[in-house]
Amino acid sequence: MPTVVVMDVSLSMTRPVSIEGSEEYQRKHLAAHGLTMLFEHMATNYKLEFTALVVFSSLWELMVPFTRDYNTLQEALSNMDDYDKTCLESALVGVCNIVQQEWGGAIPCQVVLVTDGCLGIGRGSLRHSLATHNQRSESNRFPLPFPFPSKLYIMCMANLEELQSTDSLDCLERLIDLNNGEGQIFTIDGPLCLKNVQSMFGKLIDLAYTPFHAVLKCGHLTADVQVFPRPEPFVIDEEIDPIPKVINTDLEIVGFIDIADISSPPVLSRHLVLPIALNKEGDEVGTGITDDNEDENSANQIAGKIPNFCVLLHGSLKVEGMVAIVQLGPEWHGMLYSQADSKKKSNLMMSLFEPGPEPLPWLGKMVQLGPISDAKENPYGEDDNKSPFPLQPKNKRSYAQNVTVWIKPSGLQTDVQKILRNARKLPEKTQTFYKELNRLRKAALAFGFLDLLKGVADMLERECTLLPDTAHPDAAFQLTHAAQQLKLASTGTSEYAGYDHNITPLQTDFSGSSAERI
Amino acid sequence: MKIFSESHKTVFVVDHCPYMAESCRQHVEFDMLVKNRTQGIIPLAPISKSLWTCSVESSMEYCRIMYDIFPFKKLVNFIVSDSGAHVLNSWTQEDQNLQELMAALAAVGPPNPRADPECCSILHGLVAAVETLCKITEYQHEARTLLMENAERVGNRGRIICITNAKSDSHVRMLEDCVQETIHEHNKLAANSDHLMQIQKCELVLIHTYPVGEDSLVSDRTKKELSPVLTSEVHSVRAGRHLATKLNILVQQHFDLASTTITNIPMKEEQHANTSANYDVELLHHKDAHVDFLKSGDNHLSGSSREGSFKETITLKWCTPRTNNIELHYCTGAYRISPVDVNSRPSSCLTNFLLNDPRYKIDGSLEIPLERAKDQLEKHTRYWPMIISQTTIFNMQAVVPLASVIVKESLTEEDVLNCQKTIYNLVDMERKNDPLPISTVGTRGKGPKRDEQYRIMWNELETLVRAHINNSEKHQRVLECLMACRSKPPEEEERKKRGRKREDKEDKSEKAVKDYEQEKSWQDSERLKGILERGKEELAEAEIIKDSPDSPEPPNKKPLVEMDETPPVEKSKGPVSLLSLWSNRINTANSRKHQEFAGRLNSVNNRAELYQHLKEENGFVLFIVEISFVNCLILISLKKTLPVFCVQ
Repeated sequence: MPTVVVMDVSLSMTRPVSIEGSEEYQRKHLAAHGLTMLFEHMATNYKLEFTALVVFSSLWELMVPFTRDYNTLQEALSNMDDYDKTCLESALVGVCNIVQQEWGGAIPCQVVLVTDGCLGIGRGSLRHSLATHNQRSESNRFPLPFPFPSKLYIMCMANLEELQSTDSLDCLERLIDLNNGEGQIFTIDGPLCLKNVQSMFGKLIDLAYTPFHAVLKCGHLTADVQVFPRPEPFVIDEEIDPIPKVINTDLEIVGFIDIADISSPPVLSRHLVLPIALNKEGDEVGTGITDDNEDENSANQIAGKIPNFCVLLHGSLKVEGMVAIVQLGPEWHGMLYSQADSKKKSNLMMSLFEPGPEPLPWLGKMVQLGPISDAKENPYGEDDNKSPFPLQPKNKRSYAQNVTVWIKPSGLQTDVQKILRNARKLPEKTQTFYKELNRLRKAALAFGFLDLLKGVADMLERECTLLPDTAHPDAAFQLTHAAQQLKLASTGTSEYAGYDHNITPLQTDFSGSSAERI
Repeated sequence: MKIFSESHKTVFVVDHCPYMAESCRQHVEFDMLVKNRTQGIIPLAPISKSLWTCSVESSMEYCRIMYDIFPFKKLVNFIVSDSGAHVLNSWTQEDQNLQELMAALAAVGPPNPRADPECCSILHGLVAAVETLCKITEYQHEARTLLMENAERVGNRGRIICITNAKSDSHVRMLEDCVQETIHEHNKLAANSDHLMQIQKCELVLIHTYPVGEDSLVSDRTKKELSPVLTSEVHSVRAGRHLATKLNILVQQHFDLASTTITNIPMKEEQHANTSANYDVELLHHKDAHVDFLKSGDNHLSGSSREGSFKETITLKWCTPRTNNIELHYCTGAYRISPVDVNSRPSSCLTNFLLNDPRYKIDGSLEIPLERAKDQLEKHTRYWPMIISQTTIFNMQAVVPLASVIVKESLTEEDVLNCQKTIYNLVDMERKNDPLPISTVGTRGKGPKRDEQYRIMWNELETLVRAHINNSEKHQRVLECLMACRSKPPEEEERKKRGRKREDKEDKSEKAVKDYEQEKSWQDSERLKGILERGKEELAEAEIIKDSPDSPEPPNKKPLVEMDETPPVEKSKGPVSLLSLWSNRINTANSRKHQEFAGRLNSVNNRAELYQHLKEENGFVLFIVEISFVNCLILISLKKTLPVFCVQ
């Protein structure tokens, strides 16, 4: 999940902070100190993630575009100048543009806003923005909620008392509300000092930047992994089941399935699965990247020599063209697969399905998937030339069951013409003729459209009179019989108008031996 | 959409009173003359649908779209009202399909125009609708049971779609009042019942329909809150296709649907099979499918679409799918669709193309299949070397028959036989001194000696089999066979180093032996148990090899049986191993066939050292080896264990 750090460089950030000792600190120094801590943490634990740095006052500027180079970000922190007043709205518009340009609208992004809680004055101040919020047109829409999945973390270089003395806190809370509640406000506990800033950023790190460590299991084979980005809790149904579901730290593989069978399923999110080496104290010593060994970390080099299940799994999935189904929690599954980055590089990835017993209807219920060897005969055939998937639904959808819809006249006309076409090819088309006739009969009875039955009966009788001399004698018999049956059905009396009753062909015999029977 | 929103329960109340038998006064030509037909025939007069037919087919279309997109958890209860209420189906999932409803409607039939209008009323149906909304659905029941003490969190909301012919606005108001009152009454009843639920929210959609060409006596009214529980809206719609259009709009509103038109789909013409023309097909689906689209700003919205589409639709261009389906694409959503015009030719052409004919249905067994799958993974991974160079047996085709069945939960007699055959085959290979695929990567020189290689292989095989001995008694038998065959006295091992091709005679006798072994395998296994017990104490520590650092050590480190070619006297009294029995027999038979080799007569432990002077000079030594009855000479470098040649 990329991060945009939005740093307030208005004059108010240069307000001095009284600290015992000779050195004089300004709020922006405290902010830089906190951000340094964040960047250091990310450089260790989130080194794959991209971070951008934006500074703003009445204008905004992208100081560092999205990068994994935390040194560059760090340097930029020490090169910030001081500008005029705070103008939050334009900065947030800037964030929208930067993120959408780089990541589009589907990638979740975290926005870390660092400010002192002075929200500007006059036009462009947050108060002004919020006051005019309801008078916006589509063209000057307020940037919140962000047009991408987001979390807005507001880091205040001020303590709660200071913010509460004005309406700053209320305004900032409105911002979070406008972002659909996605985000949080952090304030400094106690006096403004380096230690308390550290503890505030520590809380942010705990909340949003803790790496997700898990154990990947497949029977007796296991591997310690980091799942990146961290899977976010998911709420299935806010009314019935409002508790956010969190994925297990034990990720158990339950089976394997062909890519063709799972066929690009919809997923909530996707994550890199990175093997990690844990030393004896259980501390992480480094993150390895599958198929990509650009790491100089010596711990990693050691780890690289120990056979790792992730490597086996990734290689196998890639070669076999399969995915592994992994259990994420009760009634929650995901899949592990090899994702090609480029021609040479690929990664082990995990995607999360929507929680529930049947996330992919074409596979049926997850718990009903079982080993091939349990099936009486191999569902994939001896030559691996067939597949049990997709499963057929119990009730076919309308487009698969030849439903009758006569809302448009063309629908009705097509059905009548089908009967007529087959009527002219009697007796060869006897079966199709009656099949179409019965389909029309059923629909007409259900819709209470008895006039149609009479009409089609009349039409068949007319066809009978139009039969050419060369016609087979059976044609006339069948047409008369069908017309008669339709007329009976059109009376609506239960005897002839039963829905499940079918008109069957008249039994005729033109072989000559029993001609008098007819 | 919440699971138990108003859309969870939809009640259709369709008027079945005599006036609904009236014509909608919109004619349908059904006798369309095909070209090249006899001239001068007057087509049959067009017919028209009744108000009833229009109402029923429009509501069926509403249900069709709803069922296509929400096959579960969105339920319909169909009620027909005349002199009483006829409830055509229930909330159960089995009742939720078009066929059931069509059959029930056919049973009701069209309204009887000669019935007494005084006895008939839509009110019966509306009262029944409120009643049915109080009835719990299986989904609500399930959710309540699951939530236990929080059962009240399960909502009970619903929608009543009433299609009738009202007399006036005040008539409409009377209907609304009736619904409100009935809800009030039934909520009181439901409060004291375990089987009923109080209605929290009810959306009443009153549709007044009338013949085309007549003036409406009822005015439209947008949604209005009549009470905290009841909202009501009134639609005054001409019958015929106007009514169908209205219900199509409503189903989209009620179920948050949106429209996508797939354009330029190439389709072959029936008449001209070689040419293809492009067609468009409009589909309905949940509107979430468009969310990312609209967000991306890439707006494909087009307001002017084909006839029949009245709402905005997003147009997408058809792209013929690649046949390669082994690629995974990043997919953020999949949505069920329903064609707007289900049986138009382009629609059915598209849906038939997309529908994969499912070939199978998996039967569920009593055991949970997924648990069985986990169990299988557990068994398969009990012994699983992760590096190809750290395994010998999984590089050997010869081991496959055993390795593939030993992981099974239970073995058949045939499986056991196959395992035994595999083991004999390996014994055979060892005797022939066949090379093994032991990796020499990372080791200097040519890697371990051949006998060392076989020991590594046997140890690994034993590890594999031991991992499964608790699966069944038959697994145990495989281990017994393995243990019986693999362990060799040091003398024999030595000779094994100098294997050579055997003669046909030997093959024959070996075959005989296998038959014999199979016959007696069970008895032997019993007898072997005795040997195993005693053998344990006698084993020499030197036998143990730690073959590779990563393969786990066998639970019992030692080959359990020690078998001598010439068993010690005291042992021969007790149970004798099959191999010894057999070897003795063969040796006796063979010894008669040839003059004893001089070297053997002077041998110590069947070994005679020749050319002892060479040993000092160039470090080579020639061993005489006897394999069965064949005597071999092998020149071996003392330093490198390198066979140079062999002669008889």
